[in-house]
Amino acid sequence: MAQLPPQTIQRDPQLFYWILFPITVVMILTGILRHYATVLMASPPKKVEQPALKEQRSLMHGVAVRSNFHVLTAPSFKARREFLTTAFESGAYLKDPERRGQPPANPMTDPGAMDGMMGMMKNNMAMMVPNTLIMSWINTFFSGFVILKLPFPITIKFKSMLQAGVATKEMDPRWMSSISWYFLCYFGLQFVFNFLLGSDNAASQMAQQMQGMAPQAPNMFGPGVDADKQFQAEAENLAVIKHYSVLDDVEQRLLEGIKTR
Amino acid sequence: MPTEREFQVAPIVPESVMHNTKALSNLQSLTASIFGVAAGILGLESYSGFLFYFIFTILTTILFYTFRVAPTSLKSGLGAFDTSRYFRTQYEFWAGGVFGGLAGYILTWTLFYGLVRA
Amino acid sequence: MASSLLRPPGHLSPATALQLSQQAPIIIKNSPGAVTASALSSLFSAPETPELWTIYENLLLSCLRTGDEESAHLCLGRLVNRFGDDNERVMALIGLMKEADATDDATLEVVLKEYEALLQENPTNIPIVKRRVALLRSIGRIPDAVTALTGLLDFSPTDSEAWSELSDIYFSQGLYSQAIFALEEVLVLQPNAWNIHARIGELLLMSVKSGSGDQNDSAKQLGEALKRFCRSIELCDDYLRGYYGLKLVCFYDPPYRPSKAVGLTSRKTTTQLLNDPPKPPKQAESDGLAPPNLSTLQKLDGLATEKLGEITRRFTAGEKGLAGL
Repeated sequence: MAQLPPQTIQRDPQLFYWILFPITVVMILTGILRHYATVLMASPPKKVEQPALKEQRSLMHGVAVRSNFHVLTAPSFKARREFLTTAFESGAYLKDPERRGQPPANPMTDPGAMDGMMGMMKNNMAMMVPNTLIMSWINTFFSGFVILKLPFPITIKFKSMLQAGVATKEMDPRWMSSISWYFLCYFGLQFVFNFLLGSDNAASQMAQQMQGMAPQAPNMFGPGVDADKQFQAEAENLAVIKHYSVLDDVEQRLLEGIKTR
Repeated sequence: MPTEREFQVAPIVPESVMHNTKALSNLQSLTASIFGVAAGILGLESYSGFLFYFIFTILTTILFYTFRVAPTSLKSGLGAFDTSRYFRTQYEFWAGGVFGGLAGYILTWTLFYGLVRA
Repeated sequence: MASSLLRPPGHLSPATALQLSQQAPIIIKNSPGAVTASALSSLFSAPETPELWTIYENLLLSCLRTGDEESAHLCLGRLVNRFGDDNERVMALIGLMKEADATDDATLEVVLKEYEALLQENPTNIPIVKRRVALLRSIGRIPDAVTALTGLLDFSPTDSEAWSELSDIYFSQGLYSQAIFALEEVLVLQPNAWNIHARIGELLLMSVKSGSGDQNDSAKQLGEALKRFCRSIELCDDYLRGYYGLKLVCFYDPPYRPSKAVGLTSRKTTTQLLNDPPKPPKQAESDGLAPPNLSTLQKLDGLATEKLGEITRRFTAGEKGLAGL
């Protein structure tokens, strides 16, 4: 098959100054804006009442004992296990002991629960709103321009995506319109934000989407979770631990380690 | 693979692991974008552009290994090209950056290719 | 220098603390004062970092320690400007300042009353609870301090700072087993804290030395102390206290065997463990806490001696960065 001569298109250099440059700058600035908006909108930790605090921290304490049992000697671990399992099973740490066994309250009616959901809403909004705005902005002002040529060939399937708004049948799919430059920025600007805002920024949509895709850790103390059930489960977990200690044979390990060094 | 018990005896500090990974990924996203600029200015197209990227990313990783990882990790008795002193998995060190920086590379490559050539 | 300001100054030597607080006026002058509310000027001034406020807090503590109350007041003023005086941490710092300014016990009582009023309002204000404990302890009302601390730990059992303070109070009262229990709680929360491992070893050793408990118990406690020191060395291999403790355990001379001559140089006679390994009682064996056999002990002793020598040499050579010092 004969190789077609590469298409050349004469483009006005002004396209760079009036389309490419503004889109890039706007993308970067929105990223920065998003970062600071997230920082500002982060609601301060809510004040927790003493019984609720006690409930949470006791459960955390139980988890700590379960996961770090290896630092304790056998007798002291046994004593702790006995104490904690009895306390957990009897519900000594519960926020309101008389409500044991009842189903958890509806999270919709609990004002504390609404806060958590508001936080999630805010995050989603911070992602959604700028994207929609910029997309429609580009579509209104810059549709129909061919601004760049991709340096690598791609299949004809991408034509409709890359050349949205440019209805030219014969054009090589490597030519891209302004909206596809937007998508390239969307995926590739992470490194810019890394150097502008430090690497744990909230600017990049990509990173946030990755987070969204990762399996969410179950909300341990969230509303609608039955604390009593959690305590029972924790008591069970504690009861089945087969205890060993890092102190076992530590002197042997130490001597061996010194020898090999 | 070390067992849970060995982890408890010789603990791994998550902060340090995070720090190491972050340093590596920062380096890789910066170099990837710079390679993109270089490839765009050189006017590389299609396969040669991607080849350029892979070769130079791997070169960066090897340099990183020789200058930052190897001096201490060889001394502590690990084999050559063994990064387990600082990184959790070998894959993360040797291949993670290739894909992490690709998007940035394509962005700058396209931009500079478009500015210089087309 | 700035890096030593980023960590709480409790561990600093008096000389370093003095040096820091002498530089306080310069630091205060060079760092931006109150962060202005105007957006325009904040664009041009240096960005506000969390480190800045950590530096102020630690500088405040260093200044109080060395008696430079003027600079301390400046630091506190800036913290109050930034975070407001209803921030819990700032409230505790304000209280600390009042305690430092107090000249007699009556003023301290007033401060204590203020703390109690604050806690009436909000019983979960943990920094204030801790200040109250510290104040109670420093004016000698130890039982009250213990009550307040146990109250705090009852609703917040994951506070390792509070546990270690409790342990210290118990230790000062000679209640070794309670002190050890509290430290074990710290370890549960911070499983890799080598200093806490060594500290438990020290407490066990002191508890044996104080002669409470029968011989069977002491052997077990000595065994555990040995293991604790070993673990702390395993986690941090130039920890001076760990090696020193190990050495002490190996050379331990029990008070209930007064016939032995005490002389650290004649190895044959000095140590109970080295000389006469106690027959491990059945109970101790099942716990895995029996002291190891003679040859292991000798090797550990040799190791400790060698390492202690090395650390001393490196310290006298002025080497920096010894983790255990």
